[in-house]
Amino acid sequence: MKLKVYADRMSQPTRAILIFCKVNGIDYEEVKVDISKGQHLTPEFAEINPMKQLPAIVDGRFKLFESHAILIYISCAFPGVADHWYPADLFKRSKIHSVLDWHHSNLRRGAAPYVVHSTLAPVFGRPLNPQAAAEAEELLSKSLSKIESVWLKGNGRFLLGGNQPSIADLSLVCEIMQLEIVDEKDRARILGPHKKVQQWIENTRIATQPHFDEVHKVLMKAKEKLQNQRLKKANGGGGSGMGKLSHSRM
Amino acid sequence: MRLKVYADRMSQPSRAVLIFCKVNGIDYEEIKVDLSKNQHLTPQFAEINPMQQLPAIVDGRFKLFESHSILIYLASVFPGVADHWYPADVFKRSKIHSVLDWHHNNLRRGPVAYVLHTTLAPTRGLPLNPQAAAEAEKFISSSLSKIESIWLKGNERFLLGGNNPSIADLSLVCEITQLEVLDEKDRNRLLGPHKKVQQWIENTRNATQPHFDEVHNILMRVKERLQNQRLKGANIEGGSSTKKPSVSRM
Repeated sequence: MKLKVYADRMSQPTRAILIFCKVNGIDYEEVKVDISKGQHLTPEFAEINPMKQLPAIVDGRFKLFESHAILIYISCAFPGVADHWYPADLFKRSKIHSVLDWHHSNLRRGAAPYVVHSTLAPVFGRPLNPQAAAEAEELLSKSLSKIESVWLKGNGRFLLGGNQPSIADLSLVCEIMQLEIVDEKDRARILGPHKKVQQWIENTRIATQPHFDEVHKVLMKAKEKLQNQRLKKANGGGGSGMGKLSHSRM
Repeated sequence: MRLKVYADRMSQPSRAVLIFCKVNGIDYEEIKVDLSKNQHLTPQFAEINPMQQLPAIVDGRFKLFESHSILIYLASVFPGVADHWYPADVFKRSKIHSVLDWHHNNLRRGPVAYVLHTTLAPTRGLPLNPQAAAEAEKFISSSLSKIESIWLKGNERFLLGGNNPSIADLSLVCEITQLEVLDEKDRNRLLGPHKKVQQWIENTRNATQPHFDEVHNILMRVKERLQNQRLKGANIEGGSSTKKPSVSRM
């Protein structure tokens, strides 16, 4: 019986799982659960994950939720997963745990709400919230600085300093990728100062191609749609037929 | 060279690590870092933990932060730690990971904030914040309900269902004990509806005595001091010499 991965590719932690499975040649069935349609809130899905969140997996009779727990489980339960993803070495493994733990209250707590409050809220029938977005941005920026000053301090290509990615790189990079759908100007402001982070994202992407790009397609299509909406609004709201977003603020 | 544990016993995750060490007979040196005096913000402590949070450990040349990561490291590296704390079985271990992950964004967001915004804020020179307290209360209530409906559903003694605690029980219970410093009335309102949680806290406490109570001594002294202040405040404000703190809200 194949591993089942309950997924929505607009969900950052879900993307990490999918890319991980593809890179490691793990045989699985992707079961789409559309968050924008509230499918994660159905009683059927609650049977899979009582927390009603994505991702979740079912492996035979075993159910599991929380993406970090899932990444670790798959690393341990499936043969052929290269050691660098979740090293057997206790010291390296502990470092990965501390990055993944830190992530919840820092990068994730900054990046995810920032994207929702500045851009995605209307998809869920909620209004944008510039104040909440500003608060989230502050935490996001602090987190990006911490990543650079603590884990990307040396010349390592990845968070643990080595030449290969771990599940920590995959999880955090997929989170930051969500920024692709916000206004270009905002993304440049937030990511621009962080050259090491940008390089690290690129390193992780290259190390997991073509799967990284393939799994991010849905996000990039959403990005394109939102960009077109912004342009339309700029043209419609600006009065003159200007193509640039200089007058309109979305 | 002995393990060093940088801790403040008013910090819930610090308590979990200390109790774990004592119960398992791990030889360590406790180094107090006083949060109320901002000792965690010194450059010296930043050398130990660049995130400037507690707890943190130094084992020989190895430094580690994030309590869940620390608990896992200690369970793995010290001989004599019973298997039930962090089972070798990959399925049980994964369940522990998912509880600990869930904790960050759910239970952990409740008691700290609630206690701060209703009780401890004045000691930090901050105003009380009823709105933030109300949000924190929502996290507490929904988290305790989730714990009961998912992990303690069948009247289990501990979160994983066995007869012995794991690091997940210790971590989450130490979070909830922070509520001890609250006004009796508030604590009853928050914990009262959750009989299974109350029983589980007691189970965890019993399984780790006398260390549980010993490590919680400081918290209980703070509780007593705050209770006396409330009584004094009630007597002064009440006008008459009523003993119950029913009038004053601290």
